[in-house]
Amino acid sequence: MDLTYIFQQVLNALSLGSMLALLAVGYTMIYGVLGLINFAHGEVFMIGAFTAMYAITGLGFPLPIALILAIIASVLAGVLLERFCYRPVQGSGDITLFITSLAASIGIRSLFVMLFGSRSMQFPMPKYLQGIRFWGDILITDLNLIIFVFTVIITLILSFFIKNTKLGIAMRGVSYNKQTAEAMGINSTSIIVATFVIGSALAAVAGVAWGLQYGNVRPAMGYHPGISGFIAAVLGGIGNISGAAISGFLLGVGQVLFVAFLPSVYSGFRPLFVWIVLFIILFYKPTGLFRSNIKWE
Amino acid sequence: MAKDSNNKNLLTLENIESGYGKVKVLHNVSLKIKEGQIVTIVGANGVGKSTTIKTILGLIKPSSGQIKFKNELINSLETYKIIAKGIGYSPEGREVFGNLNVYENLRIGAYTVSKDDFTKRLEEVYQLFPRLKERKNQEASSLSGGEQQMLAIARALMQDPDLLILDEPSLGLAPIIAEEIFNRLAEINQMGTTILLIEQNVNLALHLSDHAYVMEKGKFVLDEKASILAQNDYVKKTYMGIA
Ligand SMILES: Nc1ncnc2c1ncn2[C@@H]1O[C@H](COP(=O)(O)OP(=O)(O)O)[C@@H](O)[C@H]1O
Ligand SMILES: [Mg+2]
Repeated sequence: MDLTYIFQQVLNALSLGSMLALLAVGYTMIYGVLGLINFAHGEVFMIGAFTAMYAITGLGFPLPIALILAIIASVLAGVLLERFCYRPVQGSGDITLFITSLAASIGIRSLFVMLFGSRSMQFPMPKYLQGIRFWGDILITDLNLIIFVFTVIITLILSFFIKNTKLGIAMRGVSYNKQTAEAMGINSTSIIVATFVIGSALAAVAGVAWGLQYGNVRPAMGYHPGISGFIAAVLGGIGNISGAAISGFLLGVGQVLFVAFLPSVYSGFRPLFVWIVLFIILFYKPTGLFRSNIKWE
Repeated sequence: MAKDSNNKNLLTLENIESGYGKVKVLHNVSLKIKEGQIVTIVGANGVGKSTTIKTILGLIKPSSGQIKFKNELINSLETYKIIAKGIGYSPEGREVFGNLNVYENLRIGAYTVSKDDFTKRLEEVYQLFPRLKERKNQEASSLSGGEQQMLAIARALMQDPDLLILDEPSLGLAPIIAEEIFNRLAEINQMGTTILLIEQNVNLALHLSDHAYVMEKGKFVLDEKASILAQNDYVKKTYMGIA
């Protein structure tokens, strides 16, 4: 177990870390404006992946077009979720919102199992992404690098947007106090919708990245990444965009290293890592999942 | 000040009933504010002053009665649309966005106006409250109570409203700071903004105002020129602690 090995594992984890970062940013933004853990976010991610898969294998579109279609489908899913699941129960308390979002998550997943079956379906990878390169003994795939760079760019643009634009400032204002924001002339409903649009678009990108990286999609694919993204959002401090992104990366790397140091029969235990992290968070800060001063950064 | 005789009504409430769910708080409340006036509502804690404001702003909907702003019925409008018609609001307890800096708070205050108007207005508001300009990059939560109140007022002024509504701007402030704030309000009014003020500091408020209402248990029990109310024995005894 030498340094090269560890470094190799970290590089392998770049794409997983990126996907979790993208998911965590969506979680944290939506939690910010709605005070809601959107458990169906993993399903929005899955819908993006499915759409891209179908656009490529069923309709024969190239990957970039498939990515755009995936974003459209996920955004639509996110907006419909907000409109028909979350808006009707707004203001009815934490537990109601919690259960509604859990139900939405299970409902969408079950619907996809009904439509497509529960098995994995292949997600084709275009030739131009299949390259690998060596740095000395260390191997890195082009896909890993591209996903990572893409994620960093998206996160930086988003941070700039949240920090500097009128809409970004309004999002932070609504997160802090919805009623006061309304009393300043902000239509908080449209701000919430805008937040779902952004969060869902990020989830679609993560979903397509997932399909490319692991080569398949299935209805339950959103479950573990969803939980991990959510935990990363909590770790990063709810409402903290860069914190969520960095925590997402760390959690991805942590998961990969966790199994890298266990004998290979335990490789199926990768998701256990996030549960351990969650356990530790809850142990030290039992209220950590729900209470936080929203302070978007 | 002879502003109260000929001018048009800017805001009128007619026979408003309002409250929270089944709990009725306001009973048959009627009020009139003419353009250019400063009107004050005084009254003890919990009588329904803030509820009156929240009803005007559409944060809660009246169960009966009419609210007109600039002669237009606004009862059933959403809050953000009512604000966009030209109302600035400084809430009780200030409620600045603690996670945003001073500049960003003001940007939100100007949410309904164009970028150009925002830039122009920002300078005017900074002139009125130079302290805010010095602290423009400071997070609102780190300001003192007086500064937060100035920010709340400045934020409400950002869209250059026709009507400025202030809910207890002197609450919890040292007397000298409260006085400074009241001096600013007089300036703001002289520049043409109509003001509806809720205040427990009855002495300061009546000196500043043209007209005042006294609220008890969700009803207006007195409705008079402020200068006359200031001489009223009942008001002196009950609200100004003068026997
Ligand atoms: N959000 C609310 N829900 C239920 N009752 C409320 C709410 N806010 C205020 N009240 C009640 O309405 C009455 C009037 O309150 P309020 O208008 O805030 O009084 P004031 O501003 O004059 O001190 C009080 O009895 C108060 O308890
Ligand atoms: Mg009050």
